[in-house]
Amino acid sequence: MILWATLGRRLVTAVPILCVVSVLLFTALRVLPVDPAAMSMPPNATKEEIEAARREMGLDRPLPEQYGLWLGRAMRGDFGRSIHHRRDAGALVRETLPGTIELALAAMAVSSVLGLGGGLLLFGLRERTMEPVAETVTTLMMSVPEFLWALLFIFVFGVALQAMPFTGRLDPGMKLPGLTGFLVLDAVLTGRLDILWSALVHLVLPAVALGLAFAPPIMRVLRASLIDTYHEDYIRQARLRGVSEGRILIRHALKNAVLPTLTLMGVQFGFLFGGSLLVEVIYSYPGMGNLMVDAVRNADLPIIQVVGLTYCVVVLVINSVVDGLYLVLNPRLRPR
Amino acid sequence: MVEVSRRHVLQAAAIAPLARGVPVWAAEPDGVTIGWPSDVTSWDPNQRFTPDAHAIMKAVFDQPLDQDAKLKLSPGLITKWDMAADAKSLTLDFRDDVLFHDGSKMTAADFRWTFFERIKAGHKVDIAQSMRKVTDIEVVSPTRAIMRFDSPAPTVPVWLAFLGSFLVPKAYMEKVGVEEFARKPVGTGPYKLVEHQMNARIVLERNEAYWGPKPKMKRVTIEIIKDPSARVAAVQSGQVDITINVPVRELTRLKALPGLATDLTPVTKVILLQVRNDEGFADQNIRLAAHHAIDKKALSAAFYAGAAVPLAVLGVPGSPGYLDDYKFDFDPERARALLAKSGYSMDKPAKIRMASTNGQFPSDYDIARAIVQMWKKVGIEADLEVIEYAKYFELNRGNKLPETTLYTFDNATGDPEIYTGYLLNPKLPFSPWKDMNFGQKVIDQFNVADETARIAGWRALNREASEMGAAMPLLQSVLTVVRKKGLAVVPYGNGWILPQAMAWG
Repeated sequence: MILWATLGRRLVTAVPILCVVSVLLFTALRVLPVDPAAMSMPPNATKEEIEAARREMGLDRPLPEQYGLWLGRAMRGDFGRSIHHRRDAGALVRETLPGTIELALAAMAVSSVLGLGGGLLLFGLRERTMEPVAETVTTLMMSVPEFLWALLFIFVFGVALQAMPFTGRLDPGMKLPGLTGFLVLDAVLTGRLDILWSALVHLVLPAVALGLAFAPPIMRVLRASLIDTYHEDYIRQARLRGVSEGRILIRHALKNAVLPTLTLMGVQFGFLFGGSLLVEVIYSYPGMGNLMVDAVRNADLPIIQVVGLTYCVVVLVINSVVDGLYLVLNPRLRPR
Repeated sequence: MVEVSRRHVLQAAAIAPLARGVPVWAAEPDGVTIGWPSDVTSWDPNQRFTPDAHAIMKAVFDQPLDQDAKLKLSPGLITKWDMAADAKSLTLDFRDDVLFHDGSKMTAADFRWTFFERIKAGHKVDIAQSMRKVTDIEVVSPTRAIMRFDSPAPTVPVWLAFLGSFLVPKAYMEKVGVEEFARKPVGTGPYKLVEHQMNARIVLERNEAYWGPKPKMKRVTIEIIKDPSARVAAVQSGQVDITINVPVRELTRLKALPGLATDLTPVTKVILLQVRNDEGFADQNIRLAAHHAIDKKALSAAFYAGAAVPLAVLGVPGSPGYLDDYKFDFDPERARALLAKSGYSMDKPAKIRMASTNGQFPSDYDIARAIVQMWKKVGIEADLEVIEYAKYFELNRGNKLPETTLYTFDNATGDPEIYTGYLLNPKLPFSPWKDMNFGQKVIDQFNVADETARIAGWRALNREASEMGAAMPLLQSVLTVVRKKGLAVVPYGNGWILPQAMAWG
């Protein structure tokens, strides 16, 4: 109940944030030295034809009026037409969003497993001879950006070992089930194990490339939190009561130390969602990131706008969920 | 006796999925998998001019007229075309045996719909610009139509084989609407669209009722791989059978690999320096000095393995506007002399600004930097800035381009009007050259009806443009192809790589 109430409150406060972001986004894109009317026409269009297109797109009106018109349409789910694809911008984002969420969730799973496991390992190695080695490895992991991991994996697992596919979301010949757009879920819902397998195999390299880059901060925060927690009185008392070290770690220390890590993971998800841009391009992964890269390259303002807003909504939702989880895991924060 | 422990079993279980991970999809006996650098933006083929997707469009749709591998205009859906002497009407005869993918028969009414009625109906199609001189298309019979123009339009036949000119079915499009058509396109081409996952994959299946030569490949899978390194990896790992536009420097390495072949083909795309006629380039001596200071052979050797042909005029060898006998020498001494005439020297360099894209075409920014260094050696100091390709037209319309811009221009037809006419017409957004003395000559040339006089006129303007420094043609661009050794492709002079012209040898 508390969780739902918190989520509800968070989502209500998200509305003004979304409005502010939409104003900023709209204004920023309109002041860019790019003419959407010209971009919507072929290069051999005359000035008169471009002016006609500008009037038709409402770009000759004052900026506040343009924003008002855009907002009115956006409230009705009409985000305009893509300049590049000449299709409904909202529909294009709806088609590609599930792929990116699926990739981000898979990458989050990878970075969580690696981050939490690595954090425990780092904590276990504290003040031992292997500690500097482990520190160096995490620093190295942190210094390699996701696109470099992506290219490295292609050459190792795609070219050298020829063990993994690295283009698309499914094997050729397989048709997308087209229920929710979340391939793994769709495969389960339709009972298609072949699609499930193919989707998972295609997710491995992009998810690991993306997840690896985000795992080291989780490792470090968990390690630091565990070290802090081990200085607490209740840990000492547990030891005095003869509780085993393993039980102290899992039952007492980890439960408290994981809270700051959870906050970090929430923040990380936002970055991870944005970080999928290059990884999607490198792996020919048909997600929102790939769409965004095309949109930026072609100055496709309606797409940039709706992708920007979607990103904002995803971050707000994730933050709300993390806040809710915080309350579930930490009773002290619950309202009395 | 080999002992199998629990550990062995677990290891095998862990590796097994990896081994199953890569499906064997490339090198099917009657199929081909192509690694392509860009996606189709819309399956309404008249909607956008997208040179990069043109070859894919040609698999699903037919053009009224076609081009052979040497760029000569050839019959397609049209069997015969006859331009009137005043170039104000064009009589066209169509094939009588062409079926759309939905089984309906293609007639001259579909041609009228595509190139006239759609535009009048307000459909947002780029061919509205290429067909802007069309005042009517009269359907004389199911196999004959007459196009009428408001002014001489000698290049309309060329445009009927160029960007966006694909025939679409009137009845089907009227029935389902443009949006649905773009979702489920129907053409007359050698392949039918089976599946399109945006930014990932296009699957085509052979049209067994195709009117022309039956393609060898029954199934064509096009993997959209935008990253050049990933395309190299895909062909090297066998995940695709053929790919294009890989970095030139990779070709030598890939060629040495067993089972792979590479091609480096000069195409109709030109690399040039676009030039303003004012500011730091108002003085012709400086423009010509800048041109004489560029060692084009060295640029070709450094960035295109010597395969990019140095150009002296706006056109490529073999195209009608090209001047075989005209050379523009690399001559630093002459460049210094020209600069000295205008009071400039190494100690007192002429200062200009230059723009270049970075990553729009292979080695663009590197070429720009090399040119800046070449200019420095004769007494021209260029301030180089990077611009986005999408902003080129925007900056040009606002008259905000710098004195010179490194630019690439694709003209699959090879026609001189589309090279010189477009690149130097001050009224079109391609040209930063706004001087109307020369510009008016270019504009007038668009209306020359007689074909011999038309070509001669463009050739003369080509020479004049180079001699006055209105443009600095640099190199003929190249297309890089990496393919499996057994896969034969037809090299088109304009860089088309057509699935219907592929075969396993």
